[in-house]
Amino acid sequence: MSVLVLASSERDAGEAIAAFSPVGEVVVLAYGAGAGEASAIAEYGVKVYRLDSINPEEVYAAVKKLYDELKPRIVGGVSTKNNKDILSRLAGLYDLPMTTEAVDVKVEGDSVVYKRGALSARAVATERAPLPAIVLLAPRKFKPAEKKGGGSVEEVKVEGAPRVKIVETAEKAKGGVNLEEAEIIVSVGRGFKKKEDLKLAFELAELLGAQIGCSRPIAADLKWLSEDHWVGLSGKKVAPKLYIAIGISGAPQHIAGILDSKIIVAINKDKSAQIFKHADYGVVADLYQFLPVLIKKLKERMGKA
Amino acid sequence: MAGMGDIVVLVKAALNPETVRAKPDGSVDVDAMSLKISDIDRNAVEEASKLKKALGGKVYGVTILTWGPVSKRTKDLKMVVQEALAKGVDEAIIVADDSIIPGDPVTTASAIVAALKKEGITPDLILAGEATVDGFTGQVAGRVAAKLGLPYVSFARKLEVADGKVVAERDLEDHIEKVEAPLPAVVSVTREINQPRPPTLLQIRRAAKKPQRTYKASDLDGVVQPKRKIEELKIVTVKRKQVIIEGDTLEEVADKLIDYLVKEGVLQI
Repeated sequence: MSVLVLASSERDAGEAIAAFSPVGEVVVLAYGAGAGEASAIAEYGVKVYRLDSINPEEVYAAVKKLYDELKPRIVGGVSTKNNKDILSRLAGLYDLPMTTEAVDVKVEGDSVVYKRGALSARAVATERAPLPAIVLLAPRKFKPAEKKGGGSVEEVKVEGAPRVKIVETAEKAKGGVNLEEAEIIVSVGRGFKKKEDLKLAFELAELLGAQIGCSRPIAADLKWLSEDHWVGLSGKKVAPKLYIAIGISGAPQHIAGILDSKIIVAINKDKSAQIFKHADYGVVADLYQFLPVLIKKLKERMGKA
Repeated sequence: MAGMGDIVVLVKAALNPETVRAKPDGSVDVDAMSLKISDIDRNAVEEASKLKKALGGKVYGVTILTWGPVSKRTKDLKMVVQEALAKGVDEAIIVADDSIIPGDPVTTASAIVAALKKEGITPDLILAGEATVDGFTGQVAGRVAAKLGLPYVSFARKLEVADGKVVAERDLEDHIEKVEAPLPAVVSVTREINQPRPPTLLQIRRAAKKPQRTYKASDLDGVVQPKRKIEELKIVTVKRKQVIIEGDTLEEVADKLIDYLVKEGVLQI
């Protein structure tokens, strides 16, 4: 056995199976929501161990048991918060090298080589680590594997009660956006003086068929928009064909989330704002004056005036 | 002396991403970059100083130098430690040794555990930022928890300590998960947990007098040599057009912008 994949969804499992199949045989530990999708994951033609728990402490116990039994060369999966939590523990227990957000993963002899973003997305590192190693992949960078059928599912259980208990789970408020899939994003920042003023951006977004994104302060501090609108290193990483940043200064953590955009437009009244260095087209203007004009012009040219 | 109710906070002297410079071959000139306290560790220090009253012990800051050479990083390291001491850390424990530099998380976690053992510190709570601004893999806290066999709560954006347990809100991708764990425990925190306050002048002055102890790897038992090698670190060259659209009126600017976007094929009108 070569690779033990940890997955809490069918999609994550598919991506990890595609990335790691060249290394050798892959088995999957499906947990959390992934446990409910265990048979669908088995259709990738892999053995699936199914653990009906979302508690990282229990999943860690199950991973440890499988690791001890199967002795995989790589333990991997997609870089989710729970995967990071669970596998950092395994890494600590056995002093295994571990990375996250990896792409271009290759095994060469007794080591694994991969690339990953570093220094707040300002650099790309090529790293080498001896096997066995823990490798978490950048999400949505690998096309899910083909389903060839023929896998199987086996239940696993862990003994004893976990010390960390989940008391309550609440779904995050959603603004009905799916920024990772958006073609056009109109994104708002601190240049807006009050929440009501965002309607200027909403109007522009409606005209363009765009989704609404925002910088960290808008979601995390001011809470004018729900967190699913938040673009950046700690928010969503996006890849639209058009990203329009309005009143966003361009903090490194925000830039790190928009690097894969095809065209970036920046509208900001401060001509020295960092965002202009990361934009294809920049407009140095007060958004309160420029947005109404842009909306009017777009309406005229779209025949909606 | 270390005693009941102590808190350990992990503080990294991280490469400051703002100081990235390229060498002629396009690689990052790591030696020319400065170190600073990793942003999210500031939140961990703030949280430690808030919880100190509830727990009644001392706050120990632990810093393992991962970027060298030590001789060239002394000034930056000192500033990082001073900042942590000014913001609420009572005593600083530092491991700085060229034999484990450049470090990796395997080494960092083992050195943290070894330093705590050397110091005889058995904390009720170990706090860390969810990740550091240079590496951003977010694994050291989990490693330390597993090595010490302690309960681990990651990505906490809210934390309370009372009656020998922690209650935390874990900030996951689509969910907020409220968890409860007995002390001692390891908790990693997110930026949202608090707003770090700048230290007062008095705090800065006092920081200079607080105890600091520096160790070499050979002073400690069980420090694991780095395993991961960074073979290449290349600057990401952003090839944006950086066209600033000008015009006599905003109408003209708007028209030009629309023209550009149509030409780029990203806007259909």
